[in-house]
Amino acid sequence: MERVSPVISAPAMAPNRPPIDWAGIIFTALLSAAIVLPLIVVGTWAFTEVWRYPNVVPQQFGLRFWNQTLTRADVWSALTISLQLSTVVTLLSAAICLPAAYAFARMDFPGRTVLFFSFLAGHAFPKFGLLIAIAAIFLQLNLIGTFWGVVLIQLVGTLLFMIWIPVAAFQSVDRRMEEAARDVGASPLRVFWSITLPQAGPTIAAAVLLSFVGTFYETEGAWLIGAPGIRTMPVLMISFINNQMVIQYGAVLSVMLWVPSFIALMFARRVIGGGAFARGFGG
Amino acid sequence: MTDAAEGAKRPLIEGAASRRPTGLLLVAIPVFLVGWLVIWPIINAIGRTLWRPDASGTMGFDLSSYVFFFSDQYSINNLTITLWTTLMCAILLLVICLPIALYLRFSHGRLPAYVQALAIFPMFVPSIILAYAFIRVLGPNGMVDILLNSVGLPKIRTPYLTPWGPVIGLVWDNIPLTVLILLSGLGNVANHAIEAARDVGANRLQVFWHIILPRISNSLLVAISFAVLGIFSSFTLPYLLGPAAPEMMGPFMNRTFREVNDPLNAITQAVITFGFCIAFGLFYVRSVARNQGQ
Repeated sequence: MERVSPVISAPAMAPNRPPIDWAGIIFTALLSAAIVLPLIVVGTWAFTEVWRYPNVVPQQFGLRFWNQTLTRADVWSALTISLQLSTVVTLLSAAICLPAAYAFARMDFPGRTVLFFSFLAGHAFPKFGLLIAIAAIFLQLNLIGTFWGVVLIQLVGTLLFMIWIPVAAFQSVDRRMEEAARDVGASPLRVFWSITLPQAGPTIAAAVLLSFVGTFYETEGAWLIGAPGIRTMPVLMISFINNQMVIQYGAVLSVMLWVPSFIALMFARRVIGGGAFARGFGG
Repeated sequence: MTDAAEGAKRPLIEGAASRRPTGLLLVAIPVFLVGWLVIWPIINAIGRTLWRPDASGTMGFDLSSYVFFFSDQYSINNLTITLWTTLMCAILLLVICLPIALYLRFSHGRLPAYVQALAIFPMFVPSIILAYAFIRVLGPNGMVDILLNSVGLPKIRTPYLTPWGPVIGLVWDNIPLTVLILLSGLGNVANHAIEAARDVGANRLQVFWHIILPRISNSLLVAISFAVLGIFSSFTLPYLLGPAAPEMMGPFMNRTFREVNDPLNAITQAVITFGFCIAFGLFYVRSVARNQGQ
């Protein structure tokens, strides 16, 4: 920190050197140890061939286990299933939720408020209890262990995000621009395409991406409804951890699974920033 | 939210056209899904456990599955460990997240930005990766043991497969949302209120207790409600990190449903978790609804 020149400094600023931010340094140290260190350890394991206790660094680095993990048939089938599920769920969710979001944002119809808040219902109950209740119904419908059973359960999980975030996006579009476009003779479809969509688009894209990534990592519904027929990547990870297989398999899968999450992190920053996200959770 | 309020007040250009129930058609499928896969399963679960055929096949009111749950020592132990884990997590989350949120609210610059990024980071770590990382770091011969050994200290008693395993994992997982909710609540605390209190000689603790705490009490409750709803019936982390017995309600329900193949008792356990969380759920919905201001 350089001393701020007294000439430039605003009256509110203290003229002396700012005190050392001890609280910040302590938080940084503790959070780095608790949050970054575990992930570095996992990353290291993924590129390790031999690491025997009690060495602080692995004896031998290498990509041997990447090769072994990626040639496993169960890894490829799980990855395929996960990508299929995430794609189908996200497309279905966008197809049914985006028109609904537009209706909630722009139209007036009976029961609008109650229906809008009905999407909170899924989040007001303990999730796994709700999944058990749904599984009991799916058991009678023979949906347990089927692709479409998992699609349904994961689709319900995306509804709140895919409606509430786009509603906020549609509402923040400048209505005067739309009216101006209409005054000069643009058709409603043309207004939607040229004015509404470009303004609401980035936020909606973030919501779609969040729902894709969220579905990809969804574990509990896939575990309870999908087994034994449907085995997604997270479900495969559970069995790798439980069966104490070669340590590196889990590490390699973690690093691979991490990639979509990282992309989400980059894109979701705009949605999460500004406190709008926390407000969505009732903060 | 100002946009929403403004949009609602301004007359719609279409006027009568927009009052037509076209909107209902557009929202029909998502609403139907919520009805079919959220509302109906809950009603169905309560109904099926209370109103079912007895030994002779006649339908009737029957509390026996609940009586069994509350008279079975194993079930009681599982419920107790769940309540204990939830309480521990709630306390730890407050102790950890409140100082972070307070620090972030009242400082500016690069270091707070980094602290905030770190605190939000776990949101982007899927819990399955977290479980794996936990075992590699805190498990037997994990990274902590390695580091302690390298400076000549004894190994830790690993929390892996003990009740503390799920507590640590769940706290880690819930830090981002708790910090975000508290931070959003602290945004409502005006700077001049704090300065005024400072001017009349209040110390930091007094400012916190008399000025800040009353203004963020609602956010505190929302953060706790949200954490409790997520933790009470969590499955993945207790299943992977917790002890085999007693187990938390999530793994317990899963085992009753899938391995014991006893849907009736699994649903009974689910309804009991609903009962324990109903107050938090209602409070959560009420707060969100009020915040949305519609």
